[in-house]
Amino acid sequence: MSLLAVSDLTFGYKKDLPPVFHDISFSIEKGQVFCVVGPNGCGKSTLIDTVLGINKPWGGSIMVGAKDLRNLKPRQFAEHVAYVPQSHVKSFPYRVIDVVVMGRTYAQRMFSSPSEEELDRARDALAQVGWAAGSEERLYTELSGGELQLVLIARALAQASELLVMDEPTAHLDFRHELNVMEVVVKLAREKKLSILMATHFLNQAFYLENAGVDIRVALMDGGVFHRIGPPSATLNEENLRRVFQIVTLVEDSNVDGQVRKYILPLKNEGSGVS
Amino acid sequence: MTHAMTTQRKIATIILLAVLPCLFLIASVCIGRYSVSVSEVLLCIRQWLTGIPAGVSSETYAVVTQIRLPRAFFGIMVGAALSVSGAAFQGLFRNPLVSSGILGVSSGAGFGAALSILLFSSVLFTPIFAFVFGVVAVVLSYIVGKLAGTNTSITLVLGGTIIQSIFGALLSLVKYVADTDTQLPSITFWMMGSLASTRTADLLLAGIPILVGILGLLLMRWRINVLSMGDREARTLGLHVGANKAAVISFATLATAGAVSISGVVGWIGLVVPHMGRMLIGNDNRWLIPTCISLGGCFALAVDTICRTLVGTEIPLSVVSALVGGPFFIYLLKKTKGGSW
Repeated sequence: MSLLAVSDLTFGYKKDLPPVFHDISFSIEKGQVFCVVGPNGCGKSTLIDTVLGINKPWGGSIMVGAKDLRNLKPRQFAEHVAYVPQSHVKSFPYRVIDVVVMGRTYAQRMFSSPSEEELDRARDALAQVGWAAGSEERLYTELSGGELQLVLIARALAQASELLVMDEPTAHLDFRHELNVMEVVVKLAREKKLSILMATHFLNQAFYLENAGVDIRVALMDGGVFHRIGPPSATLNEENLRRVFQIVTLVEDSNVDGQVRKYILPLKNEGSGVS
Repeated sequence: MTHAMTTQRKIATIILLAVLPCLFLIASVCIGRYSVSVSEVLLCIRQWLTGIPAGVSSETYAVVTQIRLPRAFFGIMVGAALSVSGAAFQGLFRNPLVSSGILGVSSGAGFGAALSILLFSSVLFTPIFAFVFGVVAVVLSYIVGKLAGTNTSITLVLGGTIIQSIFGALLSLVKYVADTDTQLPSITFWMMGSLASTRTADLLLAGIPILVGILGLLLMRWRINVLSMGDREARTLGLHVGANKAAVISFATLATAGAVSISGVVGWIGLVVPHMGRMLIGNDNRWLIPTCISLGGCFALAVDTICRTLVGTEIPLSVVSALVGGPFFIYLLKKTKGGSW
């Protein structure tokens, strides 16, 4: 049985307008990455918010194992699904460890604070994203964008849930930090057998994960539906990219040290005069 | 605080937070036109607790146990309540410039107090009116905030602003029709805050909500951290955001309404003391909330002691707390300029 099974999911913000997406179905296996790509405004983030229970769907179901996510209380929900936000608005200068231990919120009783054991779990989670031991006392408001993203991933890992939902986890990151995050994703999927639902604008990330041996599937989303679902090499081809993004691309193999990797080279907008 | 708290440092902090108000309490009871020594204060407390005469004059005993000690307790309770609610609201609204009056509790209480003075021409029912209208104002703000469908922090603050202005207008109306020789001065003085006219009987009316409110916030202090991550993250971390927000607002409102009902409107404490706490202990509410209780109690008690002893007559609490709090706030703005918020 799939870890996450979404079927016929439909949602819109206003009932008198057409839905943002409709009849979306997909499933994610244990240890699998499911990558939703598509142009701006295609409904990726809205879909993620609906899976997270922030948007109430018009119809369809979202099952984790035998449980319908829509019926879970936030506390039970957090036990199964952890979320890494696209952009986090920093509030007060908390220490890194204080932020990460918030991943243990669902395990707290109404009036209690996290125990030393929970703090250890938070330190473990930080170690998993490669956070240097001893620097968990830093103020999280002083972190760079890349460091903050790792902390937010660590917070999600502290939840120890089966499904990780990431909305554009590398937006605003430079190449190095983007690679950092992707390396963590590879490790989580391959070694920890975590299932990951992620939206991204960086199509090469799908190839990166495929090249790294991660069980990954890509959904090409446009106009509120999935056009194609499949492994990156079968989905992200020049024809499909032209249809969904209206761009002309070159999808090529690179060969470095005998290892063949696929990558996408964006060339131009379809119909643009530039050659 | 950027460094790990060692166990020793934690224990030292806890002891300091507990001892500081006691020291302020004793010092405050000693200070005044009728001079009392520290040992006399301690003897009076012993006699009061055990009932065995401790050899102090009956005059001293009366001054200490009937006048100064109750008033000092009021001061500590009021300061603790206002500052802890301020810190809780700052966390809840993710805004360090928010104070305990953000949802209209002070304006509501101000109107309630003025109304009772207008209706009864005495201050007998003022605390209960102030308390009830303070709570009513927050409930209305909450309802207005929820009208938008979603219970976001912004609609709540907007609700609070609207209700504050409505009760502000009603207060003006009451002042306008009040008797200018007797009622208007009472209203005006009440709006400036004072502990001069508190009665020991008020301890029950104000003390219970204050204690319930403070205890509630103390227990929920870690959840305030999580709530300050924003609604959507708090929810995915496993909190029922609506229920937890409502609980924090209820506890903070009980504490503030209880405080305002006996002290009148006191500005600054609910804004400035949380910031003193943030500078001293950091922003983690697990430590900030207890620090605010202790620090707020000490601050209000010190301010009230200045109010009753500086000159021959009582000075309103708001005057002294703003004169102390104002310069501090300017200093704070200067210091956090370009800072993390």
